[in-house]
Amino acid sequence: MRRLLTLFNLLMVAYVVAPIVLVVWMSFTPTMLFEVPIRSFSLRWYEELFSYDAFIDSAWLSLRLGLISALAATALGFLAAYGLVRGRPPGAGALLGLFTAPLIVPAVVYGIAMLQFTNLVGLYGAFPALVAAHVVIVLPFAVRTLLASLEGQGPELEWAAMSLGARRRHAVLLVTLPLCLRGMVSAFLFCFLISFSEVTVTLFMAGPAHQTLPVRIFNYVSDRIDPTMAAVSALVVLVSVALVLVLNRLGALAAVRK
Amino acid sequence: MISGAAGRSALGIRLGGSVWLFLGPALLLMLAAYLAPLFDTTIVSLHPNRPTGIDRDSWTIANYLRLLDTYYGEVLLRTLRVSLLITLFSVLLAYPVGVWLAGLGPRGQAWAILVYMSPWFVNAVVKSFGWTLILGNRGLVNRGLQSLGLIDSPLRLMLNETGIVIGLLPGHFLFVLLPLWAALKGLDGNLRWAAMTLGARPWQVFLRVTVPLTLPALLAGAIINFTMNMAAFAAPALLGGTRTRVLSFIAYQVNLEELNWPFGGALAVAMLVVTLGFVMVAQGLTRGGLGGGRR
Repeated sequence: MRRLLTLFNLLMVAYVVAPIVLVVWMSFTPTMLFEVPIRSFSLRWYEELFSYDAFIDSAWLSLRLGLISALAATALGFLAAYGLVRGRPPGAGALLGLFTAPLIVPAVVYGIAMLQFTNLVGLYGAFPALVAAHVVIVLPFAVRTLLASLEGQGPELEWAAMSLGARRRHAVLLVTLPLCLRGMVSAFLFCFLISFSEVTVTLFMAGPAHQTLPVRIFNYVSDRIDPTMAAVSALVVLVSVALVLVLNRLGALAAVRK
Repeated sequence: MISGAAGRSALGIRLGGSVWLFLGPALLLMLAAYLAPLFDTTIVSLHPNRPTGIDRDSWTIANYLRLLDTYYGEVLLRTLRVSLLITLFSVLLAYPVGVWLAGLGPRGQAWAILVYMSPWFVNAVVKSFGWTLILGNRGLVNRGLQSLGLIDSPLRLMLNETGIVIGLLPGHFLFVLLPLWAALKGLDGNLRWAAMTLGARPWQVFLRVTVPLTLPALLAGAIINFTMNMAAFAAPALLGGTRTRVLSFIAYQVNLEELNWPFGGALAVAMLVVTLGFVMVAQGLTRGGLGGGRR
């Protein structure tokens, strides 16, 4: 019975990882056709990739957007999580619900709302508006990760610092923040990962001037199948997988599992 | 001597009103860049759309009534059908995976769960591109079957509902798997022992002890999975093709191609209300606040 289950799970695993593995594999083959076994190995799609200015631009945009929004979300997320854990304000549950609402509200809905709203306030296609949207989208991951981090350590050390005369901002910056370092790093990487693979909201609201890597791939793939696409996609996969492995090592993935 | 809460308050250790300094920045962001846009779209959806633009002076519910048109009804039915199929398959596949997972050692479980989570972390567009390489007319499956002489002409595996189901299932499977896995791990092993010592066979133990005790978690996961399927955008757009359009793609066309924002807004609000309704039911089932993940 156990063996049958193991066999079933091997097939299931093969099914869920198949498209990911295949994209990476394809990016290294010289032709667009599958060869089994692989007879040749080629980096020509990668070479071609670097001659496409559009993709370089998109990669650069994705990187900037990911770094800025992850940084902002980690900062806001730390402050918010600190307030929720140490302050226990009235309506803490509702506040946490608000901060994590983007996990539940469909991306299509938020994308439409941002498209219409940025037009209303005259910020359509503006980079700051896109950053704000990405911070909103990744904030739940920062808040959850840092909540777990802050709950994991009691307030006693902070109290000790304050009873010895430290002001709160010093106690928070010099005692609590260093103790949360692992949580901060996890939150930052997590936010970057989510921003880096976000496609729906960006596609709805960013306008033609700001095509992130996933949006660029989406627009390309809808038109034609181009092997260069496999190289771009493979790069995206490798970045995501590397980040997931680091996050796993940091024990940060448990925050999503709950 | 002062002690406890009073002492902390005297030392300025309790946060008190300054808690809002900490919550303020995130709260402001959520108000300005989240609640305000959603509110604006709700208002827009209640205005008529004129050739000159949105008529903000008059109010109407016509945009919502239009959702009941035959064309949109058909799209809604297709979206429901595809979403339900994915949920059904996820539920059927979840027990064999969950039971197997729960039987592994801690390290094995950690790695296996990571593998099952991986499709969720990888961009939907990239995964869909991978599926076109597998399911397309000249994809892996069709070429394999043809070279084995099993089929003459390629099977149509994508640009239809089949493609959407195959492509969406792996990424959304874990919303069913994770709650079930947690419930299976939390199961009191003695109950199964008790059933066995009373003469129950393994399959009877499974059907009459394990399944009833883990059913609420499974159902809660299934509901979250269903709402994710209903709202998915990129994968159905790429794997469904031009004829197999789901609700989210219609929302894209109405908002970005037809530029009919009142109607597009009504579509968004309807999706939002339905999703929130389902999530509340799911949370009621688990009591612990499932939240889930997203996408």
